[in-house]
Amino acid sequence: MRRPRAVTLPALYPRRALVVGSVLALALGPVALAPAPDPTPTPSATTPAGDRGAQLYLEQCASCHGVRGQGSQQGPSLVGVGPAAVDFQLSTGRMPVSREVSQARRREPVFSADDISALVDHVASFGGGGPRIPRVASGDVVSGRDLFAANCAPCHGAAGSGAVLTNGWSAPPLYDASATQVAEAVRVGPGLMPAFPGQVLTDQQVDDLTSYVRRLRTERLDPGGNPLGRLGPLAEGLLAWLAVLVLLVAGVRWLGRRAAE
Amino acid sequence: MIMDRLARALDDRLRLSPVTRRALAKVFPDHWSFMLGELALYSFVALILTGVYLTFFFDASSADRVYQGSYAPLDGSTTSAAYASVVRLSWDVRAGLLIRQTHHWASLVFLAAIVLHLARIFFTGAFRKPRELNWLIGVTMLTLALANGFTGYSMPDDLLSGLGLRIITSVVESIPLVGTWLAALALGGEFPSDAMIPRMFVTHVLLVPAVLVALISLHLGILVRQKHTQFPGPGRTEHNVVGSRLWPSYTLRSLALFAWVLAVLFALGGLAQINPVWLYGPFEPAQSTSPAQPDWYVAWGDGALRLFPPWEFRIGGYLVPAPFFPGVVLGGLAFLALYLWPFAERLRTRDRRQHHLLDRPRDHPVRIGVGVAALTFFAVLVVAAGDDVLARLLGVPVYDLLYLFRILVLALPILTGAVAFLTARALRRGEAASLGDLTRADLRRAGRPSRRPSRRDDEPETPAPDRPGERIELWPEGEVWRWRYRDEARRLVLTANRVAVSEEEAVEAARLAYPGVDRVVVPGPPAPSPPGPVRAALRRWGRAAAAGSLLVAALVERRRDRRRQRDGDEGDPREKADAAPRGGEPR
Repeated sequence: MRRPRAVTLPALYPRRALVVGSVLALALGPVALAPAPDPTPTPSATTPAGDRGAQLYLEQCASCHGVRGQGSQQGPSLVGVGPAAVDFQLSTGRMPVSREVSQARRREPVFSADDISALVDHVASFGGGGPRIPRVASGDVVSGRDLFAANCAPCHGAAGSGAVLTNGWSAPPLYDASATQVAEAVRVGPGLMPAFPGQVLTDQQVDDLTSYVRRLRTERLDPGGNPLGRLGPLAEGLLAWLAVLVLLVAGVRWLGRRAAE
Repeated sequence: MIMDRLARALDDRLRLSPVTRRALAKVFPDHWSFMLGELALYSFVALILTGVYLTFFFDASSADRVYQGSYAPLDGSTTSAAYASVVRLSWDVRAGLLIRQTHHWASLVFLAAIVLHLARIFFTGAFRKPRELNWLIGVTMLTLALANGFTGYSMPDDLLSGLGLRIITSVVESIPLVGTWLAALALGGEFPSDAMIPRMFVTHVLLVPAVLVALISLHLGILVRQKHTQFPGPGRTEHNVVGSRLWPSYTLRSLALFAWVLAVLFALGGLAQINPVWLYGPFEPAQSTSPAQPDWYVAWGDGALRLFPPWEFRIGGYLVPAPFFPGVVLGGLAFLALYLWPFAERLRTRDRRQHHLLDRPRDHPVRIGVGVAALTFFAVLVVAAGDDVLARLLGVPVYDLLYLFRILVLALPILTGAVAFLTARALRRGEAASLGDLTRADLRRAGRPSRRPSRRDDEPETPAPDRPGERIELWPEGEVWRWRYRDEARRLVLTANRVAVSEEEAVEAARLAYPGVDRVVVPGPPAPSPPGPVRAALRRWGRAAAAGSLLVAALVERRRDRRRQRDGDEGDPREKADAAPRGGEPR
């Protein structure tokens, strides 16, 4: 089933054989709404030979997003999505995908950090601007908690454990996301998530928010013992029933058996 | 010594000894399932013990309060006093979190134990005459426990429980005609009212617990007065109670259970985090969180609200909103059915006799079928309340799960109820002693239309006048008389726990318990029977095997030591390590 092109791939990425020529996910939801690509590409965007970003783009991305990022039936246009969107999708491992999925899941990133920045630069060369990769500083967790409860908790859960949305979509748990990735998601709004541009949340507020989300990851917020996945009362009820059946009823049976002797 | 004198002084003034002696000699039947209610009782004791500690720190007020403490993300935030005090309790009060979590775990275990106890009573027919009153008290306690669980869950005023309270308010408001009035009356105004937390607090720590304590006392008083039921068995009749005395055996066993319940609850409270309100944040009407569920014991209501289609219509110009049926009617009907079951069953079977011997669950296939179907129905509803959590964990669209649960909640109870009914009938008609012994033929016979059971359980109180091997033995012990029942065929001896002052009284007591059984006077208390030959042999062999294995282990160890020493003398340890994997190859 392997395509002949796969043979030419670097041995470092054997799974790319599946990826090449495959379709892209719809995970870049808002990106699909981006303006149609300019039919006449600017001459400055011509790919220099041997450019790592261009080469990777042609190998991994172009089959769905188009050679000039103009998009296709399988993937949305990348013109004007901004470096933040590209960096978010690649560094969380959501892109590239090997088949068309409604929502790509987080996984280990496929590319190295250098490759990602090369790809970010290359996609930026298609033009169109878009949000830049935010620089995150540490912020105030108290203000961050307020912002999180008002803006993020309805979908990601007040404990950041993620929750289900409509049509098979879900808001992922936030525990694996780095501060930069959280800030990128806030600015870009991947998937069903709304984008929060600078007019809605200032840079300082995004810093507060990312500090609180980073704080949510730490086990120091679980002083009560095993957090049971922070899944809420039903997980707790399940454990309570297990304890009742396995420990208490078993204890009662044992005592009852002793009595019968 | 001091206790002795104290006891004597008290006895001189209050004449306690006759009462105490009778109470201590009270007999409780031995069966593990009779202790399920005790699980609930001891969880309740744990709830009171931990709850008192919590009241020292909880501030039942919705006034604004600035939280200042070691939980950084809220430090300096203004929240309600109730929420701020719970966060302080969890983060800044010594042992506060442990006690709070133990309290919450105890409530979950309390309700689970009540459900198990209820199921035991139901399936064994322990609610029949004369115990209908205790059944009614028990069901009332279940409703009170549910109510108290919900108020306790809502009092911290966190975001998650605020959503639950909002839903309950909507359910109450959905009652046609009176709903909005009721809700306004209960809350003292519109939904997030200032009166709501103080009112829930008084209900939670005073009103309902006081009623619960009164009802528990009544429950146990009636139990002592009516005596506990027992399963039918050799020597057990409608007129006696066979088991252990209150003192010492039953008391010690019960105390052991109390200690074990406390141990499990505190282990849960210390090792598993429950209801982290600091993560959920304070309740704000404009905010929400997801996934949102209530505690498991009210989750069936949440599940019903999720599954029920959004039907609403008007009766005489009054709107009947969609939450009315799943929220109010379902719960109302369920508890009405629970309250009425003993009377409905008596109406159906026309059985007006007193029952002190329990049914085996298989004796009433209809009852077990209905019970299993109802339990399945509510279990599916509880799971359906977690459809959003399941959808995310399984990666399935949540609406697909919703449709699946809509089918399951209707189909699964019918299926499990039918299986339970047929299994019970197969067990009753066949000769199988337990589920494992059921043959396919038994099951096939169970499917056929019923014939009258040919063999009804013969009434134990009218035994044959001269059953071989059975007798009552009486003997004098000092100035009093004792008696016991002996069945040679079953190798069974049951000694009456109550002494009789005269031979006549002993004869009378024995005749009441075992009418028609021959009585003989024996010389004296027989020596305790030696352990059976099998057990004695096993014990001896076990001891010998343990000693032998210890000896062998010591010898092997010594030999290994010696060999190691010899090898160490012989040469380079590295060489030895190389040689070792090759086994016995000659070098």
